Amino acid sequence: MNERARGLTPAAAERLLVDPGPYLSCDDCFEQVDARVEALLSGASEPLTPEFRGHLVGCAACLDEAWSLAELAAQDAGVDRASVRARFEQALEPDRRPLA
Amino acid sequence: MDEVEPVAIVNRSPVVAQMPPPPVDDWVSRLRDDVHRHEATRELHQLMLRAARHQIARMPEGRDLGWARREEIVHAAADEATSSVLSRLGRFEGRSRFTTWAYKFAILQTAVEVRRSAWRQRETDLEALGEPVSDATGPEAYAESSDLTRAMREAIDHALTDHQRHVAIALLVEGVPIDVLAERLGSTRNSLYKTLHDARVRLRDDLTTRGYLGFATSEEAVS
Ligand SMILES: [Zn+2]
Repeated sequence: MNERARGLTPAAAERLLVDPGPYLSCDDCFEQVDARVEALLSGASEPLTPEFRGHLVGCAACLDEAWSLAELAAQDAGVDRASVRARFEQALEPDRRPLA
Repeated sequence: MDEVEPVAIVNRSPVVAQMPPPPVDDWVSRLRDDVHRHEATRELHQLMLRAARHQIARMPEGRDLGWARREEIVHAAADEATSSVLSRLGRFEGRSRFTTWAYKFAILQTAVEVRRSAWRQRETDLEALGEPVSDATGPEAYAESSDLTRAMREAIDHALTDHQRHVAIALLVEGVPIDVLAERLGSTRNSLYKTLHDARVRLRDDLTTRGYLGFATSEEAVS
């Protein structure tokens, strides 16, 4: 057995088992993130594609940056922070696994 | 047309004077316009500063860096993001507000630098990544040793390549940020995420084949 893998906690196991869905690169995520975030804030029924949602669920860095962008864009659009959180969590829900 | 040219030259000044400036929210025109470029660039930089401050404030990793280092990161990120936006103006397609499009450059610059700066103080943690961690992780690591986690350990050992195992464990077990690992391995966020994606697909396939998971990846379901 790989010695380092023996340190596997249930939380780490869950992170490893995230369903990554169809592949989307971090660069492509960055290309799309502004439009996706605004779709999310506008209340669109399907604001995130399966690829984009899968990437956010599987990539902690891109998720953090997308969430941050949503908060800033929400300030410009007059959407409160609690609503941003609710919309993000709802949009990620189909694939949601804890990342941290 | 040659005859009318002098007339056009004579009249050019009044015509320009009568033209309204680009609307304040027409960022691309203002940033390209000879008259308004300087002021628009200054405003863009303020926007990038705002985004950089927002990003650093929401990152727990930034809190231990100290005020001076945080300010240094914020200003460097805003400068870099301003340059990035100006050099990519032609790629802005209007699929979002200009401000939303621009914010993402400052957020990325700030986030990457905060992650790297925070981990520079944890040099030894990274160097230890190649070492066994079974004793260092504590008894809680074994407390919930279900069949699934035992099967996962086997899958990590047998279903992944050495590189996939190293990347997956560093990112998801050790918690090394992807930008930090990319810098240390001389790689990129893109490349490491592809490795992680492939590793997850292999793990899920292995566990599905052995009856521990109901479904493999949704990638297979849609392809
Ligand atoms: Zn990513």
